[in-house]
Amino acid sequence: MIKTFTHEKLLRYLYNELPAKEQTELEDTLQHDPELAAYCADLLLAQRALSAVQQNPSEATTQNILRYSRTFLPTS
Amino acid sequence: MQPSDSALISLYIAGKESAFDLLLNRHKSRVFTTIMLIVRDEDIAEDLLQDTFIKAIHTMKSGRYNEEGKFSSWICRIAHNLAIDCFRREKRSPLLSLDTTSHTFNSLSLAEEGADATLTREETYAQLRELIQDLPAAQKEVLIMRHYGDMSFQEIADATGVSINTALGRMRYALINLRKKMAAQPVFYDQNLYPRETAPVPVQRAAS
Repeated sequence: MIKTFTHEKLLRYLYNELPAKEQTELEDTLQHDPELAAYCADLLLAQRALSAVQQNPSEATTQNILRYSRTFLPTS
Repeated sequence: MQPSDSALISLYIAGKESAFDLLLNRHKSRVFTTIMLIVRDEDIAEDLLQDTFIKAIHTMKSGRYNEEGKFSSWICRIAHNLAIDCFRREKRSPLLSLDTTSHTFNSLSLAEEGADATLTREETYAQLRELIQDLPAAQKEVLIMRHYGDMSFQEIADATGVSINTALGRMRYALINLRKKMAAQPVFYDQNLYPRETAPVPVQRAAS
């Protein structure tokens, strides 16, 4: 049974928010805990899927923003 | 080596427009995805993306940009607030245009792989977006802020008025729910659907 605190630690690890020492400890635990490693792999797959579905704006919108920036002059 | 956001902002404030070009191209996809997942309308999302970056341009060029936080989370917070305001104002019903052939649904070109494969991939991505939309609101909010908005769990906790443990718990359940929904549809477990990232290591983490 994976403990709740480990779940939360794992999440912070997946998003690069864990301090270096705790990161090393967690990586060590993952090497020796197949259940946790399998759970981590599942989360990574979900995370990768989230990244894959990112969408891009149209080129016209991008160009509008760049044009605005080039012509904007701050007052004061 | 790519210049940091901070370096690009300094160059931009000093008058180098090409720095803003890089900054925009680096962040537009995340910001646009954040907005799309909230407003679910491509035209509105394009407008809000412009509004978001116009606000950023005004802030940076008028010397009011605060260097303390990350640019990525700052710009996504602006986008998130504008999208939420718009969503509330419009009181939109949850309609999502799932035009799977739209140019926005990925950067892969038809030339890089067969048209059929591209369509299958885009259809799967569209289904995945629906799974995200189906998450409970609080979970979806944290997921958008953390994954696309690049906000830390502490920043999310502060922005939403909950404890960091609650924010972590919501993210945890969001990913668990997503994983369960994906497991129910084996197509989502086709590894070829997702772009390869860095070389596999014992545990691969998201790029910061």
